[in-house]
Amino acid sequence: MGSIRLNGITKSYGSVDVLKGIDLDIAEGELAVFVGPSGCGKSTLLRMIAGLDRPTSGRILIDGKDVTHVGAADRGLAMVFQSYALYPHMTVRANMAFGLENTRMPRAEIDTRIAEAARMLEIEPLLARRPGQLSGGQRQRVAIGRAIVRRPTAFLLDEPLSNLDAELRVSMRAELSALHGRLGATMIHVTHDQVEAMTMADRIVVLRAGKVEQVDRPLALYNRPANRFVAGFIGAPSMNLWPATARQGAVVLEAGPSLSLPGVPDGPLTLGLRPQHMRLDPEGPLTLKIEMVEALGAESVVHGVMPEGTRILAVLPGQPGLARGETIRLGFDATQLHLFDAGGQRMEPPNADRTPAFQAGA
Amino acid sequence: MTGAIAFVTRRRGGARWDWTDVVTFLWLGAGLVVVFGPALWLVLSSFKTPAGLAEFPPTILPYEARTAEVQGYDRPLPLYSVTDERGSRTLAEVRRVGTVAQMVDPENPGEIERVNIATRSPERQVALSWSNYLDPFLRFDFMTYARNSVFVTVVATLITLLTNSMAAFALSKYQFRGRNAVLVVIVATLMIPLSVILVPLYSIISAAGLANSLWGVILPTVATPTGVFLLRQYMLTIPDELLEAARMDHASEWQIYWRIVLPLTAPALAVLAIFSVVWRWNDFLWPLIVLTRAEVYTLQVGLNAYAGELNVQWHYLLAMTVITMIPVVLVFVFLQRFITAGIAGTGLK
Repeated sequence: MGSIRLNGITKSYGSVDVLKGIDLDIAEGELAVFVGPSGCGKSTLLRMIAGLDRPTSGRILIDGKDVTHVGAADRGLAMVFQSYALYPHMTVRANMAFGLENTRMPRAEIDTRIAEAARMLEIEPLLARRPGQLSGGQRQRVAIGRAIVRRPTAFLLDEPLSNLDAELRVSMRAELSALHGRLGATMIHVTHDQVEAMTMADRIVVLRAGKVEQVDRPLALYNRPANRFVAGFIGAPSMNLWPATARQGAVVLEAGPSLSLPGVPDGPLTLGLRPQHMRLDPEGPLTLKIEMVEALGAESVVHGVMPEGTRILAVLPGQPGLARGETIRLGFDATQLHLFDAGGQRMEPPNADRTPAFQAGA
Repeated sequence: MTGAIAFVTRRRGGARWDWTDVVTFLWLGAGLVVVFGPALWLVLSSFKTPAGLAEFPPTILPYEARTAEVQGYDRPLPLYSVTDERGSRTLAEVRRVGTVAQMVDPENPGEIERVNIATRSPERQVALSWSNYLDPFLRFDFMTYARNSVFVTVVATLITLLTNSMAAFALSKYQFRGRNAVLVVIVATLMIPLSVILVPLYSIISAAGLANSLWGVILPTVATPTGVFLLRQYMLTIPDELLEAARMDHASEWQIYWRIVLPLTAPALAVLAIFSVVWRWNDFLWPLIVLTRAEVYTLQVGLNAYAGELNVQWHYLLAMTVITMIPVVLVFVFLQRFITAGIAGTGLK
C-alpha cells in the first residue's frame, strides 16, 4: 500500500506552463524528497498528488489505481501544510479528531488513535490547548499528529520545517526520519533545503522549472550529478563549475590552466569540482589569490580567484592558517572531476584509467 | 476612584494648565453635550407630565406640583408659596378667577384668601411620571408591538447572518466564472436606496400574500449587500490552506463552511449582527408600508400612532422612544468587544 506513480503530469495556468511533463515512480514505504529552487513547481506537484489541484494532462496512480479525477479526501493521503493549517478555533484534540469524525468513525476508535499518536509525538499534555497557545515546534507536531491519526497510505509534507528555527529544524528533521522508520509509510517531503533533502531522503527528486532534473539516492546524486544544475544545487558550498573547451584531448579552462583528458570530444564543456575535493598542494595545478577565509573550526572555506580571473571555492580541512591576500596552490584528485557537455548534461569520463595532469598556463 | 479622577484631570503641562488643556477640555465638553445631551434630555423628558412638557421655559428635570389634601375638598389641591404684605407662606389653590386666585391655608381650611397671582409661585418637587411608561403597555398594545419588533429583529438577523455568510463564503473561497461580476452587482445595489424600489417591492410582497405579515417585513431585508461585502472581505483573510486541510480531512463543503469558516468569521458576524439588529429594530418606512393592521405593528410603527394628525402625545412618544432605544444600547454594550479582535490566523505560523 502506498506506491505512487505519476504519468506525464503537466500543469498550465493560462499560457504559463508550471509543470512540463513529469514521470515519477515512488515505491511503497519510500521517503521521497522533492527539492528545487523556489518556483520550480514542487509544491504544485505535491498539491496535484494530494488532489487539491487537477493536472492539465497526465495521470496519477496510487497503488495502481487511477486517481486523477478522485477528490482529495478519497485518495487516502494526509498532508502537512507549510503553515500547518491547524484549525485555530479547535483544541489540539479536536484538530486531530476532525478528519476522523467526518468519516463517522466510532468515538472509542478516535480516542484510541489520538492517544496513540499523542504518545508517539509527545503532545499528550497539549491536547486541551488551542493552536494559538502552542510554540512553532509543538504546532508542527500537532500537524503531523493530525496526519498520523488518519493512517493514510502516504504522507505529503509541504515544507514542514521551513517555519522552525535552525536548531528545532535539525531535531525535527531527525524526528521525521525516525517517524518514517517507525510507520514505514510512504512519505513525500517537499523542501528547498538541500541539506534536509540529503539527510532525510531515500530518494531525491530534483526539480527545476517544472521538469525533473534527476531522481536518485542522495549519495548517488552527490557523486554522479546528471547535469550541471544538479551538480550546482546539491552539496554545500556548491560545486565549482568552470566553463572550458576540449581540444585534441586536452580541456582548457576559459581562463586558466588546461588538463589533458584524452578521449573527450572537442567542443565547449563545463568542468565541475567540489570544493571539498581540493587540498593544499605546493605542486598543485590551481593557483589562487585568497579573497576571504571563513574559518568554521573543523574546516575552512576559502574564496579565491585564479590569476586569470576565474573564481574558485575550496573547503580545506582543519585550520590551515591562511590569510586574505595570500597566494596558494591547490591540488585535487582527477577522478573527482565532473564533466558536463554544452547542453549541461553529464559526460562520462572517456576511460577509467586515464592519467590526467594539469599543465599550468599551457 | 482616585485613579479615575487623576485620569480625567490629567494635564499636558504637568502642574500648570497649558492652553491645549483648556482647548481640549472645552472641545471634549462640547462634544459630550452635543452627543449625550439629546439622549439625556430624552430620558429626563420621558418622565415629565404632559403639562411639564408644555411648560415654558422648559426645565431639565421632571417636576410636578406639590399638592395637599385639604379638609372639605374632594381632590388634592396644588400648593403655592405666596409672598405679599402679610409675609410669605404656603397656600393651596381652590380656584382661580382672572388674575386673582382663591386660596386656602391647609392648616386652617375654613378661611379663603384672595391672592394676586403675581405674588405667588407654584411649589414643585422632582417626580417621575411612570405612567408614561406603564400606560402604553397596560392600556395600549405596546406589548404586542414590542413582541413583533423582537420577532422581526431576531428572525431577520438570524436569516441575514446565515444567507449573507453563505454568499460571502462562495464569493471569497470559490473560483467560478462571473464571480467578480456577481460581486460588483451585489456591491452596486448598495447604492440603491429603499425608496427607489419601494413600489415594486411592495407589489411583490403584496402578490406573495405577505402584506400585513411580519414575514413581509423580514424577507425583503435579509439580503444586505453591506453584510455580504463585510463578510467576504473578512473571509478573504482566512487562509485557503485551512480549507484545503479540511478538504483532506474528508470535510464536505457544507462542513467546511459550518465548522471551519463560520467560527473563524465570528468577529465579522458579530459586527454584522450588531448592524442587523440596529437596522431591523429601527426600521420604520418599510414596516409602515407593509403593516397596516395594529396587531402586526412593530414598535416604530406603533410609535407613529402617537403622533396623530391633530395631537401628538409627547409624553408617551418620548417614553416609548426610550424603550425602543434600550435594545440598541444593550447590543452595543455587550457585543462591542467582539468587534475588536479576531481569532483567525492564530493556527498559522
